[in-house]
Amino acid sequence: MVVRPCLVLLLFLLLTLAPHAALCQQPASGSTPAPTSAPAPGSAQANAPASPPDGKALYEQHCVACHGENGEGVNATISFAGPPLIAVHNPATVMTAMEVGPSHMPQFGYVLSVDEMHAVADYVTQNLATLSMQGGDLGKGGELFRLYCAACHGPEARGDVLAFVGVNPPSLATTDGPVIAGMIRMGPGPMPKFPPGVLSDQQVASIVDYVQYMQHPEDPGGSPLGYYGPVAEGFIAWMMLFVIIGICGWIEKGGKG
Amino acid sequence: MIPEIARALDARLRMAKFARKALDHVFPDHWSFMLGEIALYSFILLIVTGAYLATFFDASSAKVIYHGSYKPLDGVKMTAAYQSALHISFDVRAGLLVRQIHHWGTLIFIAAIAAHLMRIYFTGAYRKPREINWVIGLTLLLLAILNGYCGYSLVGDELSGEGLRIGYAIALSIPVIGPWFTFIFFGGQYPASETISHLYMLHIFVVPATIAVLIAAHLGILWRQLHTNYPGPGRTETQIVGSRLWPTYAAKSIGLLLLVFSCITALAGLVQINPIWLYGPYSTAASQPSAQPDWYLGWIEGAMRLFPGANLRIGHGLIPELFFSGALLPAIVFGTLYAYPFIERYFFTDDESDHNVLRLPYEHPFNTAFGCAAFTFLLVLFFAAGDDIIAVATNGSVVTIRTFLRIVLFAAPAAIGAIAFILCSIIRRRRYGQNA
Amino acid sequence: MSANRGGSENTGDSGRNPAPMQSGEHKQKQQEAPKKAQIVPVFIAFLFGAAAAITFLYVYWTTYQTMLMGWTLGLSLALFGVAFVLWGHESSLGKEVSQPREIPSSDPKERQLVFEEFYPPGEGIQRRRLLAVMGTAVAAFFAATVVSFLRSFTNPPDQSLFGEVWKSGDRLVDTDGKPVPNNALVTGSTMIVFPEGQVGSVHAQTVLIRVNPADLRLPPDRSDWAPMGYVAYSRVCTHAGCPVAEFQAESNVLLCPCHQSTFAVLEGARPTGGPAARSLAQLPLYAGGDGFLHAGGDFSKKPGPGFWRI
Repeated sequence: MVVRPCLVLLLFLLLTLAPHAALCQQPASGSTPAPTSAPAPGSAQANAPASPPDGKALYEQHCVACHGENGEGVNATISFAGPPLIAVHNPATVMTAMEVGPSHMPQFGYVLSVDEMHAVADYVTQNLATLSMQGGDLGKGGELFRLYCAACHGPEARGDVLAFVGVNPPSLATTDGPVIAGMIRMGPGPMPKFPPGVLSDQQVASIVDYVQYMQHPEDPGGSPLGYYGPVAEGFIAWMMLFVIIGICGWIEKGGKG
Repeated sequence: MIPEIARALDARLRMAKFARKALDHVFPDHWSFMLGEIALYSFILLIVTGAYLATFFDASSAKVIYHGSYKPLDGVKMTAAYQSALHISFDVRAGLLVRQIHHWGTLIFIAAIAAHLMRIYFTGAYRKPREINWVIGLTLLLLAILNGYCGYSLVGDELSGEGLRIGYAIALSIPVIGPWFTFIFFGGQYPASETISHLYMLHIFVVPATIAVLIAAHLGILWRQLHTNYPGPGRTETQIVGSRLWPTYAAKSIGLLLLVFSCITALAGLVQINPIWLYGPYSTAASQPSAQPDWYLGWIEGAMRLFPGANLRIGHGLIPELFFSGALLPAIVFGTLYAYPFIERYFFTDDESDHNVLRLPYEHPFNTAFGCAAFTFLLVLFFAAGDDIIAVATNGSVVTIRTFLRIVLFAAPAAIGAIAFILCSIIRRRRYGQNA
Repeated sequence: MSANRGGSENTGDSGRNPAPMQSGEHKQKQQEAPKKAQIVPVFIAFLFGAAAAITFLYVYWTTYQTMLMGWTLGLSLALFGVAFVLWGHESSLGKEVSQPREIPSSDPKERQLVFEEFYPPGEGIQRRRLLAVMGTAVAAFFAATVVSFLRSFTNPPDQSLFGEVWKSGDRLVDTDGKPVPNNALVTGSTMIVFPEGQVGSVHAQTVLIRVNPADLRLPPDRSDWAPMGYVAYSRVCTHAGCPVAEFQAESNVLLCPCHQSTFAVLEGARPTGGPAARSLAQLPLYAGGDGFLHAGGDFSKKPGPGFWRI
């Protein structure tokens, strides 16, 4: 029978793999190069500072170049160097960003210890995050969005609607709330700035609420056709007309006119 | 039971002789003869769904604060009309389905008319004795486009509000009579609260009634003159060949009606159209990109985008650039279409005889070439209406696309017309020899 | 007379295609009832259509979810339609029918008889003339009345097309009606403003932008219209009237989303591309002693799209 040798093989694999699986649960130093295991090749552990790390100093050493002196973001010509941090209130967000290194950001898991990263996160969320994201109103946010933002980013915040001289207002479909809020104040690249005199903190929070809703709209009517609007709808209508004409061909098959 | 009813009716209306003649009526069989029917059945669907929608729609520009079931618009100021449209979309049972059937039905209605128009044009079916139906048909197309525009502008969402603003500006741009015409049609200086009443009256009553009467005339003339035939065995100027009304043609027609209904309904269930809740209510200070009208006005939209910024000063008067692209071009296009059969007859073919057998496209190369060129011109304009979307899709700039399309607008029709002419001449010569 | 490309007789073209029947012939053919097997597809289509229709009604009465209703209704209509078409295919027997066509015009004698009803030879010329004149007059009167009644639809094109929008000294206010202080904007930012008391006005809506004063290239007679780098233009596009809502901060360009006209903010909103032919109207500004921005007069010209007497 073929079954018996297979069972033996299966048992053998299970017995040999199980210890590996058990070991992998523990954050043993040097077992895998996972960022969460803080390898810190010697330096941090060797020095082991007595006082807690200075978040501000670390920030100015590692982050200012891309994120700005006050976390306001840095404006390169077309694309930005680093998003603003003025609305980042959650330390976990900062931690994850430093560990994962999203987009163009480098990973800091190799450079900083966990304690140092916590210090930076605390500094950012307590000192730099000055834009309160409280008190947003979805309806008001929609009104403001349509007044100030929809013209460039499209009414569904999908962007991609006007490529003029190579500039394309991006889609906001996957952008995080705090980043959106920061961008409104910062005005990266060709986007205008909206200082508190134009949009208050609460208005910004409302707009962010609305954009976050627009990232997952209901679409009760069916497929939204990429939110391209009447152009896509007209195209589909003509496709359906061709289908109907095909049906006419079937109805009148053999008809010689 | 049915024979009893029929007998009772006949005892009062003396229908049998008419019924016999009618049931014997012959309809030629070809898929290209069904395009007009597609339009007709779409229209029936529009009337039915339109009546349903009109029950719930509130054609009022009074301002209200929304507190309905669609939360992202909670607390937003909007017109009562827009609120009733939201009500239909979110609260009325099957309301959104019917609204989408109505809108998709319109797009297909006008597309079918356009396809039907092209068939009539390329087969020469507009020749004597069918010029009257040609004129009626063109008027139907014009009214259908007008009704579509009035219909989607009624709702008062951001996108159609922009379209109303543009329509207003086009009307205003007409020399001399512009302001008066605009004020009468729209009811006052923009944005007039009377506008919605004008649109509503036109959209649910005057224009549909006119369309219905004209369709009746169109079909009556078609019935009386009998349909045309393609050239073929037994088909002559004095003999029509096809299927009888009963049972064949009736069965196929009822089948087509149901299939057209089903296609539009399936589309309405599968694909979202005109999501007014995403656009938001019309606000005079806001605007949004992808600002295109429904497809059947795309040719005018494309013309408005491509036409350069050149206005004309005549003494103290100004003819703005918008007049040429928004008003003069459509007038020329429709004027040419209306006059075409008569121009062809009196200036070109000098042909006074009746034509019941169709003319295949290659038999009149100039007609086909002119038609191909003209429809290519319109097609480029349709593309131009989406130049911002093309720019995004090709990662190019709108300026480049615009310049490119301006060149193509004249080059393509010339090229396609020439190619069509040459091809037709070749085919003609092959079939009929050098002396044809 | 256009040529008949097919055979002119009823015998078909060299027997390749059988001749179409005369319409009387169909009665004999009708005696052959379609075989039972050919009705089966019709029946099956009908049955499935009925099932789909019942499903639709069930969905309508319970969850009335849009997409489900569309699917089921569309499917049932399609299946019923297919049933009818299949029936049509079966019943047509694949044969065509031929009928004579009548000449479109009437017999000349009949036409003459009708003509003579209205134009009896010889008599009543005076009466005919009177009838013609009366008819024309009545028709003209009705036409004039109908056209005149259009006047009821509106007031005449009025001063609102030509009138003033901003007045000298008007404070600028934002969309909430709050006055705009001198430090409201930083370089590269923009906001929507109205004259005080006209928030939401279509014709008075104005875009306020702050630029670097050194970059400005306004016409000489407007050199004092832009205090501290603030410039203000009418938001109503001069092409077709859409709000010019897109502002590109780096290149200082205003874009209209409707037909992609562009305007140079630093040069008095001169049109730099697209279909607009005339620049946006500019609003003179001054910084008031109260710390807020004020208008120094009305727009440089009538805002919005052009028309005959603009």
